[in-house]
Amino acid sequence: MTKRQDSIDTLLNSLQERAKELNCLYAIEEILNRPGVEPGEVCRAILKAIPQGWRYGEICQPCIELYGEKYEPDGFQPSRWAQHADLEVHDHKVGVLSVYYTKQMPEADDGPFLKEETKLINTIARRLEYYISYQQMRRAVKEVESARRSPTRTGKGEWRCVLDLLRATDHDLYFRIAHKMLNHLCGNGIRPALDLMGSPHSMLTEDQEGVEDLNRPHSGTAFALSDAVSETIFDIADEHIRDAEILNIVHKWVQEDKLSFLVQVVNRHLTLPVVADALRRYHHMGPAPLDLHSPARRGVEVALIRRFLSDQLEFINIAKNYIGLPDFYQLLENLVYATDSHGKLGGKSAGLYLAKNILQKTEDLDKLLTGIKIPKTRHITSDVVLYFMHYNDLDDVVEQKYKEIDQIRQEYPHIVQMFKRSRFPADIVNGLSTVLDEFGDRPLIVRSSSLLEDRMGAAFSGKYKSLFLANQGTKEERLSALTDAIAEVYASTFGPDPIEYRTERGLIDFGEEMGIMIQEVVGTRVGHYFLPTFAGVAFSRNEYRWSPRIKRDDGLLRLVPGLGTRAVDRLSDDYPVLISPAQPNLRVNATVDEVLRYAPKKIDVINLSTNSFETVDAGEFIEKHGEEIPGIAHVVSKFVDGRLRRLFGMDFDQSDGELVLTFDGLISDTTFVNQIDTILKLLENKLGTPVDIEFAFDGKDLYLLQCRPQSQTSDTIAAPIPQDIPRERIVFSADRHISNGRVSNITHIVYVDPQQYGQLASREEMLAVGHAVSKLNKLLPKRQFILMGPGRWGSRGDIKLGVNVTYSSINNAAVLIEIARQQGNYVPDLSFGTHFFQDLVEANIRYLPLYPDEEGIIFNERFLTQSPNMLAEILPNFAGLAGTIHLIDVAKAAGGRVLQLLMNAEINQAMAVLTEPHAIEEPSPVVVPTAEKPAEQYSRWRLQMAQQLAAQLDPELFGVKGLYIFGSTKNISAKPDSDIDLLVHFAGTPLQRGQLLFWLDGWSLCLDEINYLQTGYRTGGILDIYLVTDEDLANKTSYAVKIGAATDAARPLPMKNPAK
Amino acid sequence: MDDKSYNPFAMAQAQFDKAAEVLNLDAATRQLLRQPMREYQFSIPVRMDDGTAKIFRGFRVQHNDARGPGKGGIRFHPQETIDTVRALSMWMTWKCAVVDIPLGGSKGGVICDPHNLSSREEEQICRGWIRQMAKFIGAQVDVPAPDVMTSAQHMLWMLDEYEVIYGQKSPGLITGKPVGMGGSLGRTEATGYGVIFTVREAFKELGVEIKQTTASVQGFGNVAQFAIRLYQQIGGKVICVSCWDQNDQKSYGFKKESGIDPDELLKFTDRFGGINKDKAREAGYEILPGSAWLEQPVDLLIPAALENQITVSNVEHIATSVKLIAEGANGPTTPDADQKIAARGIFLIPDFLANAGGVTCSYFEQVQSNMNYYWEKDEVLGKLDVKMTSAFQAVSELARKRKLFMRDAAYYIAISRVAQACKDRGWT
Repeated sequence: MTKRQDSIDTLLNSLQERAKELNCLYAIEEILNRPGVEPGEVCRAILKAIPQGWRYGEICQPCIELYGEKYEPDGFQPSRWAQHADLEVHDHKVGVLSVYYTKQMPEADDGPFLKEETKLINTIARRLEYYISYQQMRRAVKEVESARRSPTRTGKGEWRCVLDLLRATDHDLYFRIAHKMLNHLCGNGIRPALDLMGSPHSMLTEDQEGVEDLNRPHSGTAFALSDAVSETIFDIADEHIRDAEILNIVHKWVQEDKLSFLVQVVNRHLTLPVVADALRRYHHMGPAPLDLHSPARRGVEVALIRRFLSDQLEFINIAKNYIGLPDFYQLLENLVYATDSHGKLGGKSAGLYLAKNILQKTEDLDKLLTGIKIPKTRHITSDVVLYFMHYNDLDDVVEQKYKEIDQIRQEYPHIVQMFKRSRFPADIVNGLSTVLDEFGDRPLIVRSSSLLEDRMGAAFSGKYKSLFLANQGTKEERLSALTDAIAEVYASTFGPDPIEYRTERGLIDFGEEMGIMIQEVVGTRVGHYFLPTFAGVAFSRNEYRWSPRIKRDDGLLRLVPGLGTRAVDRLSDDYPVLISPAQPNLRVNATVDEVLRYAPKKIDVINLSTNSFETVDAGEFIEKHGEEIPGIAHVVSKFVDGRLRRLFGMDFDQSDGELVLTFDGLISDTTFVNQIDTILKLLENKLGTPVDIEFAFDGKDLYLLQCRPQSQTSDTIAAPIPQDIPRERIVFSADRHISNGRVSNITHIVYVDPQQYGQLASREEMLAVGHAVSKLNKLLPKRQFILMGPGRWGSRGDIKLGVNVTYSSINNAAVLIEIARQQGNYVPDLSFGTHFFQDLVEANIRYLPLYPDEEGIIFNERFLTQSPNMLAEILPNFAGLAGTIHLIDVAKAAGGRVLQLLMNAEINQAMAVLTEPHAIEEPSPVVVPTAEKPAEQYSRWRLQMAQQLAAQLDPELFGVKGLYIFGSTKNISAKPDSDIDLLVHFAGTPLQRGQLLFWLDGWSLCLDEINYLQTGYRTGGILDIYLVTDEDLANKTSYAVKIGAATDAARPLPMKNPAK
Repeated sequence: MDDKSYNPFAMAQAQFDKAAEVLNLDAATRQLLRQPMREYQFSIPVRMDDGTAKIFRGFRVQHNDARGPGKGGIRFHPQETIDTVRALSMWMTWKCAVVDIPLGGSKGGVICDPHNLSSREEEQICRGWIRQMAKFIGAQVDVPAPDVMTSAQHMLWMLDEYEVIYGQKSPGLITGKPVGMGGSLGRTEATGYGVIFTVREAFKELGVEIKQTTASVQGFGNVAQFAIRLYQQIGGKVICVSCWDQNDQKSYGFKKESGIDPDELLKFTDRFGGINKDKAREAGYEILPGSAWLEQPVDLLIPAALENQITVSNVEHIATSVKLIAEGANGPTTPDADQKIAARGIFLIPDFLANAGGVTCSYFEQVQSNMNYYWEKDEVLGKLDVKMTSAFQAVSELARKRKLFMRDAAYYIAISRVAQACKDRGWT
């Protein structure tokens, strides 16, 4: 306990010291930035600032010697306890900075001085050097300018003046320019110059004369030009070249020279601090002139992009047009890194950084792009994770990825704990401490930004952690919460899900490193909560279109109040507001009822008093805090007297009507949606790929939080449409309003014949079709059947237009298809799933409209109507509807084949093809080669377990007559979180029933645990048990129809031989 | 189109013919009543947001105005047909007649899908509809109202266009307006209260003391909530209510023997009438399957949710204690189940009588708008009580006298009132 106290004290102590140093540095920075102050005055001011940075400030006496001038405090007395740092400008010593203690103090690292103090004095010296050289440059520039203005001077004076200045301030550069000029003159065939070049001796200074060997290259000696020879060169130039041109090329050479050291630094793979230092030096060398994009500069920029952002060529190719040297200077100021770091920022940071620069550099072109902000962000370089692990002896965790997945899963919680208990190296803690000083107590989000994340052309999103921090309390508490969060994000690199994902995509051997983004959370403080007014995600391509008027490149916007977490994820119990950015007035929900049903009802917020992330009721929260949330009036409407009314003033009281989050005001009264549309189009255009972005709005400004290529999961990737499929294997094709995707392994088709349905004589019969579909939805294998029907699924009232179903009657289908058959001379409008559109989106049920009577469309009516119809066998009560509803078991009707639906929005075509089962994953051109675990693997394991269970089940003991398996396991379509559906034919006593269920429950829990270790999914019991009785079998009620069914029948499992 | 196919207007005519037979109507009256008196079909040109022009098809059918100005909604529907509109306008004639309000029957619509329209485009359709129809509607002629996919907003656009054309205020043109803009108070309560006014009269007639009765209700939406409230106020006890659970995608029953408390339930009910079952359990409610409401041993069942809820397959589960069924929803009982209910001697208040509180309140809105003087809520509800009570008494008296089932009695009384008006005017 005391030991810990000690270490805390030590930490505190050293933190206090760091704070003093920082104060000192800030003070000096401020002095140096004061405009129009004499150098002498600056030195005297610095003398006053220095003592506060030293441990024993009260006895600390600094002194500066500069160009022979001495600056000392009053009563200065040199002593033997001293530190010195030379001051050099352009590699020449021009003075020295010293710090003395007036009396002896206890021994520390370097005499009485701390090693940090040594570093500090050097830092101050460097800063002073930049200042001096900057002042000289400024003076030079001023002189040139005054020369230009002076009537007595000609153009000639201008470049002469520059050169004079160079000679005075940077002699070496002067010589290098002279040498370049000589080369330039010779290159242009100017005689006197060639002569000068031809007599090598004339180029050498006297003391080197004679040493020169003609066989040796000259270049090494060129630096030894004398003043006299240089004068001659410039005189020759004066005679042969126009003054303006001389000035121009001299200027260019000076710039290039400035860059040369940068070129060396970035190309030599030096550590990050060295690069940062070089950039800083370049930056402080003077105001960057508006020079052309010289090749050298381009080279440096590309090298820096490769070094910090990404080595992907596609990325570099785009980034080099938007990210320049000054940007890197800014960027490096925002980095936290180790002293020997070589790391990058990681994919997420790089993507955001590029997007930000594209927006900033094009904002002049469009007024809508101005004022878009990026939240204050600090980056930790990617290799710090390795440094951190090494520091804590965790190096071998890297090999975790090669272990078996269940072992990884089992060990993962332990790794998280280990990481969270580990300590960060002192330099990183220092860096983070500074970051916290800059952010204050603003809530933060710690985001992963790994090297693999969000690379162009690959989707690797949502696999690593992002953590919100309320960032409240004392500095120590906040620091510890921050390091804790970073450790947790680090640990997520070794989580089972990302490792599995990488294994599947052949990325496991990639040296993954984890960069970190520390971002301030966009928002405002509201009571003791913190939240943005609204946030969301936007996609430049819309794969879920609710109206034929909306085009795919009109984009899609998912908006929620508060933090954007609820827009990013698909929610089962709430809905984001969907808007098409290019056509915001075509809303998904047309009637008041629909708007009410699908409006967001919850808000994610940060609770500052409990330091936690919370979900609160939207209406209550806004009623209570509405007045404090800037701009919320644009988001809410009030439901009064059956009508949705925009809020006038601040009327958040719900007693006269409920608050509903419609975002109506945002669409009609602000440019927000146009802004998003413009951003999406610009970024897609510049990045050459569809993008998705995350954003937040704090009531004043729009912030971009993330930008990456629009994720292309197998759901939304364009499926290649094969051209060589024999016509008889195509069930239908389509070419209107197609979105991207592929639905494989369709085993059943439910086809409601539009003509037959249209001729049903009574409303009751039409309602019965809806009931039958609802029953089939429960009985058919989930997400393996498609529903095809006339006109508008979900019609109410006039149900002649489409089958009367609710969402719960279709929620297991994989695809919902609406057929518009020509009737006389008109083709009916389709609903586009509007009756439950948002439910379809959140459940990822695909929608497809068919127009069978249009030219060039294949519609295999014969297959749909002439294939054996299973309806009567599955639903005997509805046998009378067999002329209208066709239930097709695809395998039976097509010789063991299954149906696959391929949709390609790029060419606006879709096709349903009969294919061999499991031979369907054709190589796709965009995604990294996938070796996705087939459903087979999950199904096989489940089947084996079910068989073992059956073999152990004593039928006599439990009164069981038969055991069957059905559902996804039997159909080889199990997913990692699928249940095992068991049907038990039970004929025992109530006591046996209890015992049986108890016995099965034990199995269920055990298997669930094993499944969790293998897949990470826990369901709290994996077996789904359905008991059926003799009576059920006789009456074909409930699940008994599955036994011996004509299609998708349950499969019997052999049980333990009864003990003889 | 094949003659075999389902045609709503042909169905409505067939139903009417049957009733006309029973009522022994003369040929001319039959001829008049089985057809709408006037039909308008017209085009509405609209400039769309993208600059293109689009033509929408509009309808108004005025079935009969012998008893007063036509009354009926305007539907926005992508596959609207003239036959649907004809059938619905005829239905409106009977609906107004059964509660004996001095209005005739109309219906209108536009072929369009609001899901494909911006709100500006919808406004243009509304204004276009009025520009075509202004000469043929009016507070003393034909009074539109909201219907499928139209709302108070659409009514205000339409009213505004009409008032611009005529250069004068005319709030009585249209109903369904918001309170303060010519709407009536009490509309929220009207349908639910109306159900209970008829229930009260029915129990009186059955000789049952309402304070001794219990009820079970399907649905917890607007109609059910106000029905439960009034029923408990006058002494009854609701022990079970069922509702749809959006998360589980199925319905549940909520039971409390000591009587449910709507105020308590409302604290955890969403705006669609979905009760949070965890919180209900905490509050001492027993959670039952969705079908349980029908099986409770109560005196009164109020189906107030969806159509086709009482069917042949569950009608047998109705407890023997049930004496009365009041149809708060539209068409909750299928025809075959209807017969079984009749056979068991359960008294049934048919939907178009039980839930006529809504249309009655629309009539009150029009009356108030015409005189530009608006009543307090109590006055509206008091007048509603009077109307519903006398409507019920007339129907039940006919049923008793002619030994008819209530549903038929209501239908016959409506038709004979309209027929009488036609005769009185000397039309037939």
